[in-house]
Amino acid sequence: MTQLAGSQARPQRDARGTWQERLLTWRTAVRLGWAVESNWADPVLFLIYSIAKPIASVLMLVVMLQVISNGAASTADLGFVIVGSALWAFVMGGIAGLAWSILDDRERYRMLRYLAILPGSLSVILLGRGTARLLIAGMGSVITLVVACLITGVPIDIGRIDWIMLLVCMAIGLVAVIALGTLMAAVCMQTRQDSWSYPEAVAGALFLLVGAVFPIVVLPQVVQWVGLLMPLTWWIEGIRRAVLPDAASGIGGVGSVWTDVTGTLAPDQGVILVVSMATTAMATLVAFGGYRWSERRARERGLLDRTTGS
Amino acid sequence: MSAPAAPATPSSIDDLPPAIEVRGVRRVYKAKPNPVTALDGVDLDVAPGELFGLLGPNGAGKTTLIKILTTLLLPTDGTARVFGFDVARQTTEIRRIMNIVSGGEQSGYGLLQVREQLWMFSQFYGIPVREGWRRVDELIDAVGLQEQRHQKISSLSTGQRQKLNLARGLMNDPWILFLDEPTLGLDVSAARVVRDLVRGWQAAVPGRTILLTSHYMAEVDELCDRLAIVDHGRILALGTPTELKQRVSAGSIFRLVLDALEGGVEPIAALPGVERAVLAADDATAPDGQTVAVNLQLTDDAVLGSVITALAAQDAHIVALQKSEPTLEDVFVELVGRGFGDAPEGDR
Repeated sequence: MTQLAGSQARPQRDARGTWQERLLTWRTAVRLGWAVESNWADPVLFLIYSIAKPIASVLMLVVMLQVISNGAASTADLGFVIVGSALWAFVMGGIAGLAWSILDDRERYRMLRYLAILPGSLSVILLGRGTARLLIAGMGSVITLVVACLITGVPIDIGRIDWIMLLVCMAIGLVAVIALGTLMAAVCMQTRQDSWSYPEAVAGALFLLVGAVFPIVVLPQVVQWVGLLMPLTWWIEGIRRAVLPDAASGIGGVGSVWTDVTGTLAPDQGVILVVSMATTAMATLVAFGGYRWSERRARERGLLDRTTGS
Repeated sequence: MSAPAAPATPSSIDDLPPAIEVRGVRRVYKAKPNPVTALDGVDLDVAPGELFGLLGPNGAGKTTLIKILTTLLLPTDGTARVFGFDVARQTTEIRRIMNIVSGGEQSGYGLLQVREQLWMFSQFYGIPVREGWRRVDELIDAVGLQEQRHQKISSLSTGQRQKLNLARGLMNDPWILFLDEPTLGLDVSAARVVRDLVRGWQAAVPGRTILLTSHYMAEVDELCDRLAIVDHGRILALGTPTELKQRVSAGSIFRLVLDALEGGVEPIAALPGVERAVLAADDATAPDGQTVAVNLQLTDDAVLGSVITALAAQDAHIVALQKSEPTLEDVFVELVGRGFGDAPEGDR
């Protein structure tokens, strides 16, 4: 055992978590999350929840699109839907992953109190716990995208993929998804265990706003404004543009708020990147502030170690 | 089973600040229809190296105080410091040097193995990998979970889970360990193991401090150097177990059975240091009618010598002698006017 050796052994009064400590905490939390998730996700369950379910969702949308268009939907239209909904599995995993970490550790495993009293930041631990779900969801998204394209015959020309745009957008999108997940975690820290469904409900609502499966021009103007302020709208648009250069824009179009305001039919890549970064930065700030407020309030009200279930 | 290997004895703990310093702490929970005051102006000092107990019924405020000291909860008013660090502002510093073990709960990542979970916590505490595994195995041995080391946590019994919880609590070798009802729900043997381990761990290095909450009076009496009796968020009495019990008895209580007492109890009652000497009301004479029982209340055990001498002068011979001491429950009953079992609300 380590030694308790008088004043020399006392922690410094200005001691704060260093970046190395934070990294170790995050890495350990990732391992913890992965161990918990991978134990839970035996191969069959993993296939059902992370691959079969999103593929089925995508194919349902494709069939609906074909029915609505009397079988006249172009491969570009199909690609639009496939990319948007395949990415949504990732969004869902990210938002729900962080929020469910709070609920899992507090209500199911009853370990949140022991995580909260660790020297490392609780937010870093939750981020690590959520990362495991994000990784699983990311794998599911990629597999869904590839399988759905193969089934529907949507051509993804690897030679035409804008890899730089793809990588930059993925990086920005990752931050945006984590920010939204952190915000949901902040909400779930305040709520009872009934809030298991909140993250999926929020992700479902966002699905309608951000042009994942249809261009936002079909939405009422006020709602279009909301969609334009969401970082996910720009992230999905950027990915779609990088992977399927011929796909229609989800943001602009005749009669859209974007076209009315800017006079252009669709934003170009530069604009997409800039707005994507700006909205993501905004979401990150809100999430950071919201989480800090929530954790402080949880300490004030004794919510960190309560269990609201039986 | 033994406690994990002890480090070298520190040179001195004199320069350490108080392990716990609580001043005027109040904690009010917002609740409907009325707010609930869980702590109502608590002042408390615990020195480094003490095993200090908080004794009180459910709802007394013990757990609330522990939550505040472990940085899980903020006080509504007042200040609390752990080894000089403020619980509201210096949480990181406190978290490096303390740990908590709560009893009566089913915590744990059920799908992980015992060794796996402990190792995760070794990493959260920043222990180097190899050292972490060594420490995990050391703690598993110490708490007696050798046979369960590769078992999933979901398959552990309540007692085994509590031992695992204790091993986690000792992982960072804290300066101060908060034990919140650590033997709640354990059978006699498992509770004994936990108590022995805790005592062994604390004794291994001077300065290691423990704050124990319990409503098991015998446990507090057996383990604690000092204790506070709490009820309705207030500290009603504070001292060593012996000091507190003396408040009730104001001395020692004996029951003497004599073969005869020709001169009556008055000469005994008149002796210096004898506060009370009465014939036992229940069975003043034994069934055979040949013995007599006397209840004595003495200022001190040492007075018993003069009593025996006086009895010998009366040609009375002692057949049996029994010392009966007041329990901590007696202290509680005298202070509060009711027993532990009569507490009206759940623990806070």
